Amino acid sequence: MADIAEIKHRIKSIQDTHQITKAMELISVAKMRKAIQKQIFSSVYFDSVRYTLKDIMRHSTDIQNQYIRHRPDNRTAYIVIAGDKGLAGAFNSNVLNLAWRHMQARPVHYVITIGQMARAFFEAKHQPVDLEFTHAVASPTLHDARGIMRDIIELYDRNLMDEIYIVFTRMHSTSAHEPEMVKLLPIEEKDIAVDVKTTFSGEICYDPSPHEVLDVLVPQYLVGMIYSALINSSASEHASRMMAMSNANKNAEAMLNALNLEYNRGRQSAITTELLDLSSCRFFSENNPSQTGNTE
Amino acid sequence: MSTFFLEIITPEKTFFRGEVESVNIPCLRGACTIMAGHQPMVFATEPGSLLLTIDGETREAFMSEGFIEVRPDETIVFSQAVEWPEEINERRAAEAKERAEEQLRRNRSAAEYRLNRLALQRAFARLQVKQHNHLSE
Repeated sequence: MADIAEIKHRIKSIQDTHQITKAMELISVAKMRKAIQKQIFSSVYFDSVRYTLKDIMRHSTDIQNQYIRHRPDNRTAYIVIAGDKGLAGAFNSNVLNLAWRHMQARPVHYVITIGQMARAFFEAKHQPVDLEFTHAVASPTLHDARGIMRDIIELYDRNLMDEIYIVFTRMHSTSAHEPEMVKLLPIEEKDIAVDVKTTFSGEICYDPSPHEVLDVLVPQYLVGMIYSALINSSASEHASRMMAMSNANKNAEAMLNALNLEYNRGRQSAITTELLDLSSCRFFSENNPSQTGNTE
Repeated sequence: MSTFFLEIITPEKTFFRGEVESVNIPCLRGACTIMAGHQPMVFATEPGSLLLTIDGETREAFMSEGFIEVRPDETIVFSQAVEWPEEINERRAAEAKERAEEQLRRNRSAAEYRLNRLALQRAFARLQVKQHNHLSE
């Protein structure tokens, strides 16, 4: 029979952990909702940017824009977005492993990380991290996205890299999210996914010219891509943490049940033993009155 | 006067939705006014002031860089930021203006020059919109 005090101690410690995981689950639910809300607001805007960009690329043949022109693809930069914290199931390792696998096929690659876990992962693999953005993961803002866009454009302008991929986790639903890799630069028409259906499908004029409209659109397109990647990643992180925590809660409850049963059993058997002792004592003293009398 | 449906969208919110008589926008080649029945078009804009005319009354708002899509059924303004005069933080804009001027004085690359010029333009436009509406109040 296990020591009752010991079981009691274990129950207490599991209860404490259970409380923490329960709180974490609730927080993740709230944060995930907030992230999804943000995405809904911004998607109207950035979907239209994407659509217009695609429309210009489809209809105008002679576009000269350095972000669209294809360079020989030897040097690839990866922007890898992971979380700042663990405790989110396989969220971090899924996205990091996808990036790592793809990188091995490229002779020259640069790594740009967003999030503490991403940096720690590449450091453990002895892959130098070329650029790091912090504070952009917990609650991504447009301001963060603009800052990242500016820095990346600057590197691209200095001709340090030929193409840029962004690796993040896309959220399909609360329970389904998978890592994804999207090419950011150079922009190609086939890479632009849009589901906006416009009511108007005729030819549209561009003022002052398609070329100049494109110059305005490209930075906004990039901001939109980066922002939506950040938001998707943060929503998926919270969703996976929510699932991991709800599993932890279930496990804790199962353990508490088993331990409570054991504790009650132990307590019951202790009471039984005590009763047995008492009654056998009584039985003994009743049957031998002389003996008890003698001792008194 | 005939009206048309106008929507103003920023990444954070829908700024405006409704029927307007005309809208004046800061295009790259100077201000432009769009009225009902305009040809389908896309305009690129620079930071400046946006004038909305609704029921004969004109309101001014600040508009950051963006673009405007004119469709037969509706006109949509997309911009990084659109603000009514009362939403503009004058002190922040003045600070941004000083910062941009300082940066412009010692700009290092062409890309930086472009960024700083845009920042200065934004600050100027914000201050201008704010001041116009101080006078009318």
